[in-house]
Amino acid sequence: MPFQLTDEQLLTRDAVRQFAEAEIAPIAAEIDRDHRPPLESIPKLAELGLLGLVIPEEYGGTGADSVSFAIAIEELSRVCGTHGVLVEAHSSLCTWPIVHHGNAEQKQKYLPALASGEAIGAFGLTEPGAGSDAAHTATTAQRDGDDFVLNGQKIFITNGGFAKTFVVIARSLLDVPGVKGLSAFIVERDTPGFQVLEPERKMGIRGSSTTPLAFSDCRVPAANLLGREGEGFKIAMQTLDGGRTGIAAQAVGIAQGAFEAACAYAKERVQFGQPIAALQAIQWMIADMAVDLEAGRALVYQAADLESRQEPHSQASAMAKLFCGEMATRVTGKAIQIHGGVGYTEAYPVERMYRDAKITEIYEGTSEIQRLVIARQYLR
Amino acid sequence: MNIVNIVVAYKYAPDPQEATVSSDGTVDFSRAKAVVSDYDAVAIGYGRRLATACGATLVGVCVGGPQSAKPVATKAALSRGLDRVVVVADDELETAGSTRTAQAIAAVVSQLGDVALVLAGDSSMDVAARMTPSVLAGLLGWPMLSDVETVALADGSAALERLTPQGVQSITVALPAVVSLTSEAWPVKPPGMKDLLAAGKKPVEIKSVADLGLTLADEGTVVSRAKLGGSARLGVVIDTSDPAAAAATLVEALRAAGALSEGGLA
Repeated sequence: MPFQLTDEQLLTRDAVRQFAEAEIAPIAAEIDRDHRPPLESIPKLAELGLLGLVIPEEYGGTGADSVSFAIAIEELSRVCGTHGVLVEAHSSLCTWPIVHHGNAEQKQKYLPALASGEAIGAFGLTEPGAGSDAAHTATTAQRDGDDFVLNGQKIFITNGGFAKTFVVIARSLLDVPGVKGLSAFIVERDTPGFQVLEPERKMGIRGSSTTPLAFSDCRVPAANLLGREGEGFKIAMQTLDGGRTGIAAQAVGIAQGAFEAACAYAKERVQFGQPIAALQAIQWMIADMAVDLEAGRALVYQAADLESRQEPHSQASAMAKLFCGEMATRVTGKAIQIHGGVGYTEAYPVERMYRDAKITEIYEGTSEIQRLVIARQYLR
Repeated sequence: MNIVNIVVAYKYAPDPQEATVSSDGTVDFSRAKAVVSDYDAVAIGYGRRLATACGATLVGVCVGGPQSAKPVATKAALSRGLDRVVVVADDELETAGSTRTAQAIAAVVSQLGDVALVLAGDSSMDVAARMTPSVLAGLLGWPMLSDVETVALADGSAALERLTPQGVQSITVALPAVVSLTSEAWPVKPPGMKDLLAAGKKPVEIKSVADLGLTLADEGTVVSRAKLGGSARLGVVIDTSDPAAAAATLVEALRAAGALSEGGLA
């Protein structure tokens, strides 16, 4: 079934591309070089409405469909993977669970600030001993009167360095083993006992702030319990279904940026008296990259469309994430190959794109976990 | 201030940045995506500010072929801040020049009534003749001011600042009037996501030449196109290992070519 974008989705692509080229492309190399979070972009992203894409209009958001969201992430990532994941994690991992599992008070309290950029969101699931294996989550949330008292540690938290609102998964039903004892909480940055630790120095998406979080007798009001007690794993998995599509869109965007750079370079680089684009070896790489990109994009839009229509999309999002993560590494690698020696230097953006692409095979579920999710659907 | 309607004339046309130029100099627009140009976005953005300040309705008027009436085309314009659009879309207008375009805009302006101001961008993006606002003003019998940088509306008049080669000219003009803005008059930004989603809910009117009862003027027929005589490039390469000597050589070469006089550029 051919996928036809709506007028609004086509115009979203135009608007975000225009914005990204004018406001983000000029700083992409510098924030990567300096490992610097692009905080100056946050008001601009908010002004365009990109921080409230998944938030209903009544709470100050845009209420855009999931395909439009994927297109926005794709276009941001086309010029800068860091900006793509900043908006993706804010939207898919923090805002989305509050929209879909928060009560009226929680939505009123947190969503307008998340839409306006006054607060950036983050999501805390991964721990030193529990990444893909959420059943071994060690962070605890012990009920004490009107509060839950959180203790433990989270790692690799995107936006950690500057987020104000965190959705955190912790074990509140201490006598219930495995994933059924987990609950989700909204934790504000300035809560006593909550500490954001030093950011990681990473291979790629270097402008993205990736930090550990520490909870030490951190008292979170019971009013900040998201959903019901024991629903933490369900909320996390549903959140990651959308998050995976978002990361797949990021991967498509990074690959698209590298593809365009490779095409431009192939047409201008002259060897043996002709542009290297005239060489069949280059043409074959370009053709393979184009097919890879279109296939990945189709998987992303299909998964996003299912999500928009509130159809089951776990498998579609896992397929999109798996294919697009690996595709982005292939395509950005070929882009460097087409550039030759200069592609390996910081003078051209493709080496940054290659480093940025690699993480899309890892975070929000490794490629191996995606294969597990997909295979389970067929082998039940 | 009692201003009912402000009109912005805009065009939905192929983006020249996406056109390709072949080795014989012909320009191919076939793969260029149609857009509302940044010139027109300046006029819409500026018009939005004026209309909001005086409580007027901002009406976009677009003249062109059938693709101008496509929902994606009208939404692209409406998302920039227009309250409604009237599109005159007709096969006969697909390649309309300034005269026919102005005829159609004038007819819509007359039908709308209560129009105090027609704003246009610096030029159309594809033809770039900069003629349509002048022809329109002539048809309406209104004053026309080009190269306008600022507009301040008052009751029955507008105070304008025009950029001229001699400097900034301040003018007060009685309304109604036709005004074309410079490309720097308003900072163009992409439309926000809320504006994009709201665009589809705004009113759109599609009209044909027949609906307007227009008899289109004869704009003449292009008999042939002659290529402008190109200036041959000399391809002189100057060795820059000694910058001072290179500069002297460059100056001498420019003088020899007649491009530089004793006082500076010829």
